Amino acid sequence: MNTAITIQNLKKQFGGVEIFQNFHAKIEEGEITTVFGPNGSGKSTLLNILSGIIPKDSGNIHIKNFDLSKFSYIFQNYRDSLLPWRTNFENVALPLQLRGRTKDEINKEINELQKIFRISFGWNSYPYELSGGQQQILAFMRALITRPEILFIDEPFSALDYENNLMLRNSLQKYHQKYRPTIILITHNIEEAIHLGKNILVLSKKPTTVIKTIDNTTTYPRTADFLKMRDFHLTKEKILSIFQKTLAI
Amino acid sequence: MKKNIILGPAIILILWAVVAKLQLIDPFFLPDPATTIKKIVALIMSRTIEIDIIATLLRVGTAFGISLLIGLPLGLLFGTSENIYRSFEFIIDFFRSTPATALFPLFLLIFGIADTSKIAATCFSATLIIIFNTAHGTMRAKQSRLRMIRSMGATRFQIFYTILFWESLPQTFVGLRNALSTSLIVVIITEMFIGTTHGLGKLIIDSQITYEIKTMYAIILLTGTIGYLLNLLFLGLEKNLLHWADK
Repeated sequence: MNTAITIQNLKKQFGGVEIFQNFHAKIEEGEITTVFGPNGSGKSTLLNILSGIIPKDSGNIHIKNFDLSKFSYIFQNYRDSLLPWRTNFENVALPLQLRGRTKDEINKEINELQKIFRISFGWNSYPYELSGGQQQILAFMRALITRPEILFIDEPFSALDYENNLMLRNSLQKYHQKYRPTIILITHNIEEAIHLGKNILVLSKKPTTVIKTIDNTTTYPRTADFLKMRDFHLTKEKILSIFQKTLAI
Repeated sequence: MKKNIILGPAIILILWAVVAKLQLIDPFFLPDPATTIKKIVALIMSRTIEIDIIATLLRVGTAFGISLLIGLPLGLLFGTSENIYRSFEFIIDFFRSTPATALFPLFLLIFGIADTSKIAATCFSATLIIIFNTAHGTMRAKQSRLRMIRSMGATRFQIFYTILFWESLPQTFVGLRNALSTSLIVVIITEMFIGTTHGLGKLIIDSQITYEIKTMYAIILLTGTIGYLLNLLFLGLEKNLLHWADK
């Protein structure tokens, strides 16, 4: 496996509470790695440390060929991260506008993305006029318009209804199949973790370590039918037993 | 309850009419609303008041404009750097609580008895209100939005014009409306006490001195109406510009 991100012996404390201790992980290049763990296990903190928003206490993090312009982060609270004073178009265009790209270039990129994401809103309306699902699509498109090589996604589906959730999982897979970025996707939902992840990191409670990395070799695209298949259920059982052991449920 | 803009003024007018009718206050010192409104109409019809309205509005407009030009950039600057704001916080809060009207002698000394000192005193009050509100609006920018824009590698200047400026606007507008009413009040007071040839404040003090009580109330009511209309103008602007606020 080609490793895009290596984390060695990561340590982080917050107000005397040990969040990460001897945290080791490897993230495979060009694949989707899902991170599954209990609430409060520091999943979001992990992404924030990796992206440099929060400093680490000690340990080594190596990201292959890291370049901020080839990196995107989709935050958990899409409502807050979209800018309500900008139209839908201006929101998606934002990262490219910051880089001084022309409107024609931006339009071209948006058209490319529209082949993957189904849009049912006007580009000249505002995010607050959209439903939660549509807002999340907007946040996804804004992050993907730069064609990132590394993409961090924090709980992207947690605020969506099941239909929108499945639709967005589908679009994300399509995008990944086409552009092959390295993706770390955080979730507390076991179904999402198995549905999307080629590798699934199962985290412990605080102080957090990776209990196990599970390979999930089912080929993409994984439709909703995958959720009914034996492979899915076997993987789910495997994760559940690991989880039960560590959490003593 | 359904919105009803007539209700508030109606209650005041009815209370006023009752107090006047029952003669709870000597009618010489509190004429009834009908007489006062008739007086306003007469004043406006005679057109002699136009020059005073224009004089007052010009002072308010000039003072508000200058305060905006000074206060907005300073507020934004203070808001973008908490350290700068903390360094100036004492001065802002100290002078915000100091009545500009009490400092008239100082303003007269520095700017003379012409319009300049009236406008300077007004600017003093209005600018501080604008700085305070704009700075606080900027400082309250959502952290999640700042994290988002930083993760895109935006420069400080880009962060300012894509996020901070916009985040400040709702609170800035609260400040602007506040500064506008304060400007009107301070201009009227300066006209009353520093003296001038024309202005609503001068008319109020003149009618007080000559016991033209009806005229005095008529002009006070007129001033309030002007203040209300200015506020309405700003609300309209706000509704258009800040359609996204609180969403």
